[in-house]
Amino acid sequence: MSEQKTTHFGFEQVAVEKKAERVAGVFHSVAAKYDVMNDLMSAGIHRLWKRFTIEASGVRAGHKVLDIAGGTGDLSYQFAKLVGKDGQVILADINSSMLNVGRDRLIDRGVAGNIQFAQTDAQYLPFPDNTFDCITIAFGLRNVTDKDLALRSMLRVLKPGGRLLVLEFSKPQHTALEKVYDTYSFKLLPLIGKLVTNDADSYRYLAESIRMHPDQETLKDMMKNAGFVNAEFTNMTGGIVALHKGIKP
Amino acid sequence: MDPMFSTAALASAEKMINAALVYDPASRIALAALEPQVLAIHITSPDTKVFVLPGVEGLELHGNYEGEVTTQLQGTLPALLGLIKSDRLNLKDSGVQLFGSTSFLAELQKILKNVDIDWEEMLSQVFGDIIGHQGAELIRSKLSWTKDRVTNIQRLTSEFLTEELRVLPSKPELAFFNAQVDELKLGADRVKARIEHILARIARQGSEPHNRNKNS
Repeated sequence: MSEQKTTHFGFEQVAVEKKAERVAGVFHSVAAKYDVMNDLMSAGIHRLWKRFTIEASGVRAGHKVLDIAGGTGDLSYQFAKLVGKDGQVILADINSSMLNVGRDRLIDRGVAGNIQFAQTDAQYLPFPDNTFDCITIAFGLRNVTDKDLALRSMLRVLKPGGRLLVLEFSKPQHTALEKVYDTYSFKLLPLIGKLVTNDADSYRYLAESIRMHPDQETLKDMMKNAGFVNAEFTNMTGGIVALHKGIKP
Repeated sequence: MDPMFSTAALASAEKMINAALVYDPASRIALAALEPQVLAIHITSPDTKVFVLPGVEGLELHGNYEGEVTTQLQGTLPALLGLIKSDRLNLKDSGVQLFGSTSFLAELQKILKNVDIDWEEMLSQVFGDIIGHQGAELIRSKLSWTKDRVTNIQRLTSEFLTEELRVLPSKPELAFFNAQVDELKLGADRVKARIEHILARIARQGSEPHNRNKNS
């Protein structure tokens, strides 16, 4: 008898082929209020995490940037300004609802000409080899079914010398902070989700998926195994979030 | 230290500056014209860099920037603050070093010194036209009064120190002294060059008979 392969969806084990569908369900549900919820959940600090990521990207005029799981386009908006009219930004997301929100928001803010939108799976990026100077994936990697496959796919489409930045929730570095953070994530977060979006389950998944995501050192090793060099990470807000950086040799 | 502290500080400063610039469209247009030039401010102690990027929306402040920098100012925090507060036009003895384009810095300095916030527009949006106008008039008169008083105090203090107490030289005296020092330095340089020239000639003459003897 063949054993069915499973993976985690929060704390739940699901069939590998079902995870993408379940994750898509979560993001279709929260897309409309994603930004409001981000502000509420992080007290606005997610803007600082993203700002730090933009600065660490080293993106400048003429660069080609791929913003995977770009969702509502926070990073793409800044990248579009940095790369200028000679550069190119691709806002990619597997979820059509998130991508629609992002595209509408960027058009409303007058971003056009140097930005394109692509509904793509991070594991199978539909771009030629050696295309991008920089790839970012912010708060997206933990939702990907096969993270190693996605990292290898990102390495392939990066130019040699190009950099990958992974902004993701991680493991708090202090025990006291971890306890407070656990209480907040499992008690308060689903409650806020219920009040604002009437969807406590999606936000419970968010908290659970963060706990299931590899910690700082593990993700760094995964990046090295995928073929990145100079892999390193910076903890932010006590390690609640970490920015991993790797270079394609 | 958690990088969020410096990121938050820069984000707050940027937000405050640009919130004020919203009410000064002329300065915003002038700043947009400076794009894509970049000013790097390198504080040597504690070792920190801030990058200032002028653009359509005002100023962007970054803690990290890997593109080309147009101008870099480098010095200690007190030296850099002293430069910002003073009206001086040169960096001599300021403790601040400048690398790159001076014209970009001068242009940026000129725009920021001439920022003229439209208080009336700002207050009208919150309190309505009538109260906004009266509030703006009050702010304008108070600012003008403060500016006059500060100028007067500076002038009186300067006169008291130079004319009454005679503990500081006046500007013309200082300029005369500087000119004399420059002249002395030029004279000393000329003497040094002359001495070197003479020494070289003596050395040449000293070696010529020896060479001749050697050849014969």
